[in-house]
Amino acid sequence: MIRHLVAGVALLPGITVMDAHADGDPARGEKVFQYCYSCHSVQPGETNLQGPNLQGIVGRRIASQEGFTYSPALRAFAQQEERWSKELLDRYLAAPYKVIPKTSMAFPGVEASDERADLIAYLRMTGAPD
Amino acid sequence: MLSASRSACAFLVFLAFTGSGHAQQSQQVFPLPEGAYPHDVAPAPDGKVWYSAQRNGALGILDPSTGQSREIKLGPKSAPHGVVQGPDGAAWLTDGGQNAIVRVDPQTEKVQVWKLPEDTGYTNLNTAVFDKDGMHWFTGQNGYYGRLDPKSGDMKVWKAPRGRGPYGITATPEGDVYYASLAGNHIARIDKVTGEATVIEPPTKGQGARRVWSDSKGRIWVSEWSAGQLGLYDPKTRAWREWKLPGDKPQAYAVYVDDNDIVWVSDWGADAIVSFDPATERFTSYPMSQADANVRQILGRPGEVWLPESGADRLMVIRTARQSQ
Repeated sequence: MIRHLVAGVALLPGITVMDAHADGDPARGEKVFQYCYSCHSVQPGETNLQGPNLQGIVGRRIASQEGFTYSPALRAFAQQEERWSKELLDRYLAAPYKVIPKTSMAFPGVEASDERADLIAYLRMTGAPD
Repeated sequence: MLSASRSACAFLVFLAFTGSGHAQQSQQVFPLPEGAYPHDVAPAPDGKVWYSAQRNGALGILDPSTGQSREIKLGPKSAPHGVVQGPDGAAWLTDGGQNAIVRVDPQTEKVQVWKLPEDTGYTNLNTAVFDKDGMHWFTGQNGYYGRLDPKSGDMKVWKAPRGRGPYGITATPEGDVYYASLAGNHIARIDKVTGEATVIEPPTKGQGARRVWSDSKGRIWVSEWSAGQLGLYDPKTRAWREWKLPGDKPQAYAVYVDDNDIVWVSDWGADAIVSFDPATERFTSYPMSQADANVRQILGRPGEVWLPESGADRLMVIRTARQSQ
Protein backbone atom coordinates (compact mmCIF):
# COMPACT_ATOMS: atom_id res chain seq x y z
CA MET A 1 0.00 0.00 0.00
CA ILE A 2 2.78 2.38 0.90
CA ARG A 3 4.51 1.87 -2.43
CA HIS A 4 1.31 2.89 -4.18
CA LEU A 5 1.12 6.00 -2.04
CA VAL A 6 4.70 6.90 -2.92
CA ALA A 7 3.97 6.44 -6.58
CA GLY A 8 0.97 8.71 -6.21
CA VAL A 9 2.97 11.37 -4.47
CA ALA A 10 5.51 11.31 -7.27
CA LEU A 11 2.80 12.35 -9.73
CA LEU A 12 1.87 15.47 -7.83
CA PRO A 13 3.27 18.72 -9.24
CA GLY A 14 6.48 19.81 -7.57
CA ILE A 15 6.91 16.66 -5.54
CA THR A 16 9.33 14.01 -6.69
CA VAL A 17 10.34 10.60 -5.49
CA MET A 18 13.85 11.99 -5.00
CA ASP A 19 12.47 14.50 -2.49
CA ALA A 20 10.74 11.73 -0.62
CA HIS A 21 13.94 9.73 -0.41
CA ALA A 22 15.96 12.74 0.75
CA ASP A 23 13.60 12.91 3.71
CA GLY A 24 13.48 9.18 4.17
CA ASP A 25 11.67 6.39 2.39
CA PRO A 26 8.19 5.68 3.78
CA ALA A 27 8.14 2.20 2.28
CA ARG A 28 11.23 1.29 4.22
CA GLY A 29 9.81 3.21 7.15
CA GLU A 30 6.82 0.91 7.29
CA LYS A 31 9.24 -1.92 8.07
CA VAL A 32 11.04 0.19 10.67
CA PHE A 33 7.64 0.79 12.25
CA GLN A 34 7.72 -2.85 13.33
CA TYR A 35 9.79 -1.59 16.27
CA CYS A 36 6.73 0.41 17.34
CA TYR A 37 3.98 -1.89 16.15
CA SER A 38 3.30 -3.82 19.33
CA CYS A 39 2.33 -0.70 21.28
CA HIS A 40 1.35 1.89 18.66
CA SER A 41 -1.11 2.06 15.80
CA VAL A 42 -1.33 4.43 12.87
CA GLN A 43 -4.87 3.37 12.05
CA PRO A 44 -7.29 6.22 12.72
CA GLY A 45 -9.28 5.65 15.86
CA GLU A 46 -7.33 2.62 17.05
CA THR A 47 -6.57 3.77 20.57
CA ASN A 48 -6.69 0.54 22.58
CA LEU A 49 -2.95 -0.16 22.61
CA GLN A 50 -0.39 0.61 25.30
CA GLY A 51 1.08 3.59 23.50
CA PRO A 52 -0.71 6.52 21.91
CA ASN A 53 -1.91 6.38 18.32
CA LEU A 54 0.77 7.77 16.01
CA GLN A 55 -1.39 8.71 13.06
CA GLY A 56 -0.48 12.31 12.28
CA ILE A 57 2.16 12.42 14.99
CA VAL A 58 4.58 14.57 12.95
CA GLY A 59 3.65 18.12 13.86
CA ARG A 60 1.13 17.07 16.50
CA ARG A 61 1.07 18.68 19.94
CA ILE A 62 3.04 16.60 22.42
CA ALA A 63 1.00 14.44 24.80
CA SER A 64 -2.24 15.51 23.17
CA GLN A 65 -4.18 12.32 22.50
CA GLU A 66 -7.46 12.71 24.29
CA GLY A 67 -8.07 10.07 26.93
CA PHE A 68 -4.54 8.67 26.89
CA THR A 69 -2.70 8.48 30.22
CA TYR A 70 0.76 9.89 29.49
CA SER A 71 3.61 9.47 31.95
CA PRO A 72 4.40 12.41 34.24
CA ALA A 73 7.68 12.79 32.36
CA LEU A 74 5.99 13.18 29.00
CA ARG A 75 3.44 15.61 30.39
CA ALA A 76 6.27 17.69 31.81
CA PHE A 77 8.10 17.52 28.48
CA ALA A 78 5.00 18.90 26.79
CA GLN A 79 5.42 22.03 28.90
CA GLN A 80 8.88 22.56 27.41
CA GLU A 81 8.28 21.59 23.79
CA GLU A 82 5.06 22.28 21.96
CA ARG A 83 4.98 19.90 19.01
CA TRP A 84 6.64 16.80 17.59
CA SER A 85 8.66 18.40 14.81
CA LYS A 86 10.65 16.15 12.49
CA GLU A 87 13.84 17.26 14.18
CA LEU A 88 12.54 16.61 17.68
CA LEU A 89 11.16 13.21 16.67
CA ASP A 90 14.53 12.31 15.18
CA ARG A 91 16.31 13.13 18.44
CA TYR A 92 13.68 11.33 20.47
CA LEU A 93 13.64 8.19 18.35
CA ALA A 94 17.44 7.92 18.53
CA ALA A 95 17.32 7.46 22.30
CA PRO A 96 13.96 8.29 23.90
CA TYR A 97 15.33 8.12 27.43
CA LYS A 98 17.98 10.73 26.69
CA VAL A 99 15.40 13.28 25.53
CA ILE A 100 12.85 12.37 28.22
CA PRO A 101 14.86 10.62 30.95
CA LYS A 102 11.87 9.29 32.90
CA THR A 103 9.80 8.20 29.94
CA SER A 104 7.90 5.02 30.64
CA MET A 105 8.55 3.77 27.09
CA ALA A 106 11.11 1.01 27.45
CA PHE A 107 12.12 0.95 23.78
CA PRO A 108 15.83 1.92 23.66
CA GLY A 109 15.68 3.69 20.31
CA VAL A 110 16.55 3.46 16.62
CA GLU A 111 20.29 3.87 16.30
CA ALA A 112 20.62 4.27 12.51
CA SER A 113 19.83 7.77 11.28
CA ASP A 114 18.60 6.53 7.90
CA GLU A 115 16.15 4.20 9.63
CA ARG A 116 14.86 7.09 11.72
CA ALA A 117 14.42 9.19 8.58
CA ASP A 118 12.51 6.35 6.94
CA LEU A 119 10.31 5.93 9.99
CA ILE A 120 9.51 9.63 10.19
CA ALA A 121 8.72 9.63 6.46
CA TYR A 122 6.30 6.78 7.05
CA LEU A 123 4.69 8.52 10.00
CA ARG A 124 4.29 11.70 7.94
CA MET A 125 2.36 9.74 5.37
CA THR A 126 -0.12 8.51 7.93
CA GLY A 127 -1.79 11.88 8.00
CA ALA A 128 -1.63 15.47 9.06
CA PRO A 129 -1.77 16.40 12.74
CA ASP A 130 -5.10 17.37 14.24
CA MET B 1 32.26 1.46 39.76
CA LEU B 2 29.56 2.61 42.10
CA SER B 3 29.75 6.21 43.19
CA ALA B 4 30.18 6.97 46.87
CA SER B 5 26.60 8.10 47.24
CA ARG B 6 25.32 5.00 45.53
CA SER B 7 27.49 2.77 47.67
CA ALA B 8 26.28 4.55 50.74
CA CYS B 9 22.72 3.46 50.19
CA ALA B 10 23.58 0.08 48.71
CA PHE B 11 22.60 -1.64 51.89
CA LEU B 12 19.64 0.47 52.77
CA VAL B 13 17.31 -1.76 54.69
CA PHE B 14 13.98 -0.85 56.09
CA LEU B 15 11.04 -2.66 57.49
CA ALA B 16 7.49 -2.61 56.36
CA PHE B 17 4.64 -3.98 58.39
CA THR B 18 1.97 -5.88 56.62
CA GLY B 19 -1.68 -5.01 56.92
CA SER B 20 -2.47 -8.34 58.48
CA GLY B 21 -0.13 -7.50 61.33
CA HIS B 22 1.36 -10.94 61.76
CA ALA B 23 4.30 -10.79 59.44
CA GLN B 24 7.21 -8.45 59.03
CA GLN B 25 9.08 -7.98 55.76
CA SER B 26 12.38 -6.28 55.14
CA GLN B 27 13.14 -4.41 51.96
CA GLN B 28 16.64 -3.78 50.67
CA VAL B 29 17.68 -1.64 47.75
CA PHE B 30 20.73 -2.16 45.53
CA PRO B 31 21.81 0.73 43.28
CA LEU B 32 23.07 -0.30 39.85
CA PRO B 33 25.34 1.64 37.49
CA GLU B 34 23.61 4.69 36.06
CA GLY B 35 21.73 3.79 32.89
CA ALA B 36 21.52 0.08 33.74
CA TYR B 37 17.76 0.22 33.27
CA PRO B 38 16.97 -3.23 34.66
CA HIS B 39 13.91 -4.44 32.77
CA ASP B 40 13.61 -7.94 34.19
CA VAL B 41 15.34 -9.77 37.01
CA ALA B 42 16.13 -13.40 37.80
CA PRO B 43 17.71 -15.12 40.77
CA ALA B 44 21.01 -16.67 39.71
CA PRO B 45 23.21 -19.43 41.13
CA ASP B 46 25.41 -18.77 44.16
CA GLY B 47 23.01 -16.19 45.59
CA LYS B 48 23.62 -13.72 42.78
CA VAL B 49 20.90 -11.96 40.82
CA TRP B 50 20.74 -11.28 37.09
CA TYR B 51 19.00 -8.42 35.37
CA SER B 52 18.41 -7.59 31.73
CA ALA B 53 20.16 -4.27 31.08
CA GLN B 54 17.95 -3.39 28.15
CA ARG B 55 19.52 -0.06 27.22
CA ASN B 56 23.08 -1.33 27.66
CA GLY B 57 22.56 -4.51 25.64
CA ALA B 58 23.88 -6.56 28.50
CA LEU B 59 23.28 -9.15 31.17
CA GLY B 60 23.72 -7.56 34.57
CA ILE B 61 25.01 -9.51 37.55
CA LEU B 62 24.46 -8.30 41.10
CA ASP B 63 26.16 -9.86 44.10
CA PRO B 64 23.81 -9.00 46.98
CA SER B 65 26.46 -9.90 49.53
CA THR B 66 28.68 -7.02 48.40
CA GLY B 67 26.24 -4.79 46.53
CA GLN B 68 28.59 -4.79 43.55
CA SER B 69 27.33 -5.32 40.02
CA ARG B 70 28.75 -5.67 36.55
CA GLU B 71 27.50 -6.32 33.04
CA ILE B 72 28.29 -8.73 30.19
CA LYS B 73 27.64 -7.37 26.70
CA LEU B 74 25.42 -9.59 24.56
CA GLY B 75 26.21 -8.45 21.03
CA PRO B 76 25.57 -5.76 18.42
CA LYS B 77 22.13 -4.11 18.63
CA SER B 78 21.33 -6.09 21.76
CA ALA B 79 18.38 -4.88 23.83
CA PRO B 80 17.30 -7.71 26.14
CA HIS B 81 13.80 -7.57 27.56
CA GLY B 82 13.68 -10.66 29.74
CA VAL B 83 16.02 -12.95 31.61
CA VAL B 84 15.39 -16.28 33.33
CA GLN B 85 17.57 -19.00 34.78
CA GLY B 86 17.51 -22.23 32.81
CA PRO B 87 17.65 -25.72 34.26
CA ASP B 88 21.30 -25.71 33.16
CA GLY B 89 22.01 -22.82 35.55
CA ALA B 90 22.65 -20.41 32.68
CA ALA B 91 21.04 -17.05 31.99
CA TRP B 92 18.61 -17.09 29.07
CA LEU B 93 17.59 -13.75 27.62
CA THR B 94 14.89 -12.71 25.20
CA ASP B 95 16.81 -10.14 23.19
CA GLY B 96 14.52 -7.93 21.16
CA GLY B 97 17.38 -5.94 19.66
CA GLN B 98 19.06 -9.02 18.23
CA ASN B 99 15.71 -10.75 17.56
CA ALA B 100 17.31 -13.73 19.21
CA ILE B 101 17.38 -15.98 22.24
CA VAL B 102 20.67 -15.51 24.06
CA ARG B 103 22.35 -17.79 26.59
CA VAL B 104 25.13 -16.71 28.92
CA ASP B 105 27.13 -19.37 30.70
CA PRO B 106 27.73 -18.18 34.28
CA GLN B 107 31.05 -20.03 34.52
CA THR B 108 32.73 -19.20 31.22
CA GLU B 109 30.58 -16.14 30.40
CA LYS B 110 30.36 -17.45 26.85
CA VAL B 111 27.48 -15.84 24.96
CA GLN B 112 25.45 -18.03 22.57
CA VAL B 113 22.88 -16.55 20.19
CA TRP B 114 19.93 -18.27 18.47
CA LYS B 115 18.48 -15.90 15.88
CA LEU B 116 14.79 -16.21 15.08
CA PRO B 117 13.94 -17.32 11.54
CA GLU B 118 14.33 -14.58 8.96
CA ASP B 119 10.74 -14.83 7.80
CA THR B 120 9.35 -13.72 11.16
CA GLY B 121 10.92 -10.28 10.85
CA TYR B 122 11.23 -8.22 14.01
CA THR B 123 9.18 -10.05 16.64
CA ASN B 124 9.84 -7.75 19.60
CA LEU B 125 10.89 -10.62 21.84
CA ASN B 126 9.47 -10.26 25.30
CA THR B 127 9.64 -12.97 27.96
CA ALA B 128 10.55 -16.64 28.29
CA VAL B 129 10.00 -19.57 30.60
CA PHE B 130 11.23 -23.15 30.84
CA ASP B 131 8.68 -25.91 31.22
CA LYS B 132 9.26 -28.95 33.43
CA ASP B 133 10.82 -30.83 30.52
CA GLY B 134 13.46 -28.17 30.00
CA MET B 135 11.98 -26.66 26.84
CA HIS B 136 12.34 -22.90 26.44
CA TRP B 137 9.13 -21.05 25.49
CA PHE B 138 9.06 -17.39 24.55
CA THR B 139 6.79 -14.59 23.40
CA GLY B 140 7.23 -11.88 20.77
CA GLN B 141 5.02 -8.87 21.31
CA ASN B 142 4.52 -8.25 17.61
CA GLY B 143 2.32 -11.34 17.51
CA TYR B 144 4.48 -14.44 17.97
CA TYR B 145 5.32 -17.17 20.41
CA GLY B 146 7.89 -19.89 20.04
CA ARG B 147 9.88 -22.73 21.43
CA LEU B 148 13.59 -23.45 21.54
CA ASP B 149 14.98 -26.88 22.38
CA PRO B 150 18.17 -25.97 24.26
CA LYS B 151 19.74 -29.34 23.56
CA SER B 152 19.27 -29.53 19.81
CA GLY B 153 18.90 -25.84 19.04
CA ASP B 154 15.70 -26.58 17.13
CA MET B 155 13.44 -23.55 17.13
CA LYS B 156 9.81 -23.22 16.14
CA VAL B 157 7.87 -19.96 15.93
CA TRP B 158 4.11 -19.57 15.58
CA LYS B 159 1.90 -16.61 14.80
CA ALA B 160 -0.28 -15.79 17.77
CA PRO B 161 -4.04 -15.85 17.44
CA ARG B 162 -5.33 -12.26 17.23
CA GLY B 163 -1.90 -10.91 16.34
CA ARG B 164 0.13 -8.49 18.41
CA GLY B 165 0.22 -8.68 22.16
CA PRO B 166 2.03 -11.79 23.51
CA TYR B 167 3.84 -10.61 26.65
CA GLY B 168 4.35 -12.52 29.92
CA ILE B 169 4.58 -16.32 29.93
CA THR B 170 4.47 -19.01 32.61
CA ALA B 171 4.67 -22.76 33.08
CA THR B 172 2.58 -24.65 35.59
CA PRO B 173 3.97 -27.39 37.84
CA GLU B 174 2.21 -29.90 35.58
CA GLY B 175 4.11 -28.49 32.61
CA ASP B 176 1.42 -26.52 30.81
CA VAL B 177 2.44 -23.20 29.27
CA TYR B 178 0.29 -20.06 29.23
CA TYR B 179 1.04 -16.57 27.97
CA ALA B 180 -0.71 -13.23 28.32
CA SER B 181 -1.61 -11.02 25.37
CA LEU B 182 -1.49 -7.38 26.39
CA ALA B 183 -2.89 -5.91 23.18
CA GLY B 184 -5.13 -8.93 22.66
CA ASN B 185 -6.72 -8.74 26.11
CA HIS B 186 -6.57 -12.45 26.79
CA ILE B 187 -4.41 -15.28 28.01
CA ALA B 188 -3.68 -18.33 25.92
CA ARG B 189 -2.71 -21.92 26.58
CA ILE B 190 -0.16 -23.46 24.23
CA ASP B 191 -0.66 -27.04 23.13
CA LYS B 192 2.93 -28.20 23.37
CA VAL B 193 2.41 -31.00 20.84
CA THR B 194 0.74 -29.07 18.04
CA GLY B 195 1.96 -25.61 18.99
CA GLU B 196 -1.58 -24.27 18.73
CA ALA B 197 -2.55 -21.53 21.18
CA THR B 198 -6.07 -21.48 22.60
CA VAL B 199 -7.43 -18.09 23.62
CA ILE B 200 -8.94 -17.79 27.10
CA GLU B 201 -10.74 -14.51 27.77
CA PRO B 202 -10.93 -12.89 31.21
CA PRO B 203 -14.37 -11.61 32.26
CA THR B 204 -13.35 -7.94 32.04
CA LYS B 205 -13.25 -6.65 28.47
CA GLY B 206 -10.19 -4.66 27.47
CA GLN B 207 -8.42 -5.60 30.68
CA GLY B 208 -4.89 -5.65 29.18
CA ALA B 209 -3.60 -9.01 30.44
CA ARG B 210 0.08 -8.21 30.72
CA ARG B 211 1.87 -10.93 32.65
CA VAL B 212 0.93 -14.34 34.03
CA TRP B 213 2.29 -16.62 36.71
CA SER B 214 1.27 -20.03 37.98
CA ASP B 215 0.81 -20.89 41.63
CA SER B 216 1.67 -24.29 43.11
CA LYS B 217 -1.74 -25.65 42.15
CA GLY B 218 -1.41 -24.72 38.48
CA ARG B 219 -3.82 -21.80 38.74
CA ILE B 220 -2.93 -18.85 36.53
CA TRP B 221 -2.64 -15.38 38.06
CA VAL B 222 -2.89 -12.46 35.66
CA SER B 223 -1.87 -8.80 36.01
CA GLU B 224 -4.53 -6.82 34.18
CA TRP B 225 -2.82 -3.56 33.26
CA SER B 226 -5.65 -1.58 31.77
CA ALA B 227 -8.23 -2.67 34.31
CA GLY B 228 -5.90 -2.35 37.31
CA GLN B 229 -6.94 -5.78 38.45
CA LEU B 230 -5.49 -9.08 39.54
CA GLY B 231 -7.07 -12.00 37.73
CA LEU B 232 -7.14 -15.69 38.55
CA TYR B 233 -7.94 -18.49 36.10
CA ASP B 234 -8.38 -22.04 37.30
CA PRO B 235 -7.78 -24.42 34.37
CA LYS B 236 -9.47 -27.27 36.22
CA THR B 237 -12.81 -25.49 36.57
CA ARG B 238 -12.27 -22.89 33.81
CA ALA B 239 -13.50 -20.33 36.35
CA TRP B 240 -12.25 -16.77 36.67
CA ARG B 241 -12.03 -14.37 39.58
CA GLU B 242 -10.79 -10.79 39.51
CA TRP B 243 -9.84 -8.30 42.23
CA LYS B 244 -9.35 -4.56 41.82
CA LEU B 245 -6.04 -3.37 43.24
CA PRO B 246 -6.18 -0.74 46.02
CA GLY B 247 -5.99 2.94 45.12
CA ASP B 248 -7.65 5.33 42.72
CA LYS B 249 -6.00 4.44 39.41
CA PRO B 250 -4.17 1.13 39.75
CA GLN B 251 -2.15 -0.22 36.83
CA ALA B 252 -1.16 -3.85 37.34
CA TYR B 253 2.06 -4.45 35.41
CA ALA B 254 3.88 -7.53 36.74
CA VAL B 255 2.69 -10.57 38.67
CA TYR B 256 4.59 -13.31 40.49
CA VAL B 257 3.59 -16.02 42.93
CA ASP B 258 6.11 -16.82 45.66
CA ASP B 259 6.96 -20.11 47.33
CA ASN B 260 4.12 -19.62 49.83
CA ASP B 261 1.58 -18.95 47.09
CA ILE B 262 1.43 -15.28 48.01
CA VAL B 263 0.81 -13.22 44.88
CA TRP B 264 2.91 -10.12 44.17
CA VAL B 265 1.86 -7.37 41.78
CA SER B 266 3.59 -4.15 40.74
CA ASP B 267 1.18 -1.21 40.60
CA TRP B 268 2.39 1.73 38.52
CA GLY B 269 -0.60 3.79 39.49
CA ALA B 270 0.44 3.79 43.14
CA ASP B 271 4.22 3.43 42.70
CA ALA B 272 3.97 0.37 44.89
CA ILE B 273 4.22 -3.37 45.14
CA VAL B 274 1.22 -5.14 46.55
CA SER B 275 1.07 -8.64 47.89
CA PHE B 276 -2.18 -10.58 47.85
CA ASP B 277 -2.98 -13.42 50.18
CA PRO B 278 -5.48 -15.72 48.43
CA ALA B 279 -6.58 -17.13 51.80
CA THR B 280 -7.72 -13.79 53.20
CA GLU B 281 -8.15 -11.97 49.85
CA ARG B 282 -6.36 -8.97 51.36
CA PHE B 283 -3.81 -6.73 49.70
CA THR B 284 -0.75 -5.35 51.47
CA SER B 285 1.14 -2.44 49.94
CA TYR B 286 4.89 -1.80 49.94
CA PRO B 287 6.43 1.44 48.69
CA MET B 288 9.09 1.50 46.00
CA SER B 289 12.38 3.26 46.65
CA GLN B 290 11.35 6.35 44.67
CA ALA B 291 8.55 7.68 42.49
CA ASP B 292 8.19 6.24 39.00
CA ALA B 293 10.40 3.28 39.85
CA ASN B 294 8.48 1.36 37.16
CA VAL B 295 8.78 -2.29 38.15
CA ARG B 296 8.16 -4.26 34.96
CA GLN B 297 8.63 -7.80 36.21
CA ILE B 298 8.96 -9.75 39.45
CA LEU B 299 10.76 -13.00 40.19
CA GLY B 300 12.07 -14.65 43.31
CA ARG B 301 13.37 -17.64 45.18
CA PRO B 302 12.30 -19.01 48.55
CA GLY B 303 12.21 -16.14 51.03
CA GLU B 304 13.10 -13.46 48.47
CA VAL B 305 11.01 -11.44 46.04
CA TRP B 306 13.15 -9.45 43.58
CA LEU B 307 11.97 -6.28 41.90
CA PRO B 308 13.77 -4.45 39.10
CA GLU B 309 13.21 -0.71 39.42
CA SER B 310 13.76 0.18 35.78
CA GLY B 311 13.03 3.85 36.38
CA ALA B 312 15.51 4.14 39.23
CA ASP B 313 18.43 1.94 38.13
CA ARG B 314 18.00 -0.15 41.25
CA LEU B 315 17.04 -3.63 42.31
CA MET B 316 14.91 -4.16 45.38
CA VAL B 317 14.42 -7.33 47.34
CA ILE B 318 11.65 -8.03 49.81
CA ARG B 319 12.63 -10.74 52.22
CA THR B 320 9.51 -12.52 53.31
CA ALA B 321 9.23 -13.48 56.94
CA ARG B 322 6.61 -16.14 56.44
CA GLN B 323 7.56 -19.70 57.02
CA SER B 324 6.54 -22.41 54.61
CA GLN B 325 3.34 -24.08 55.72
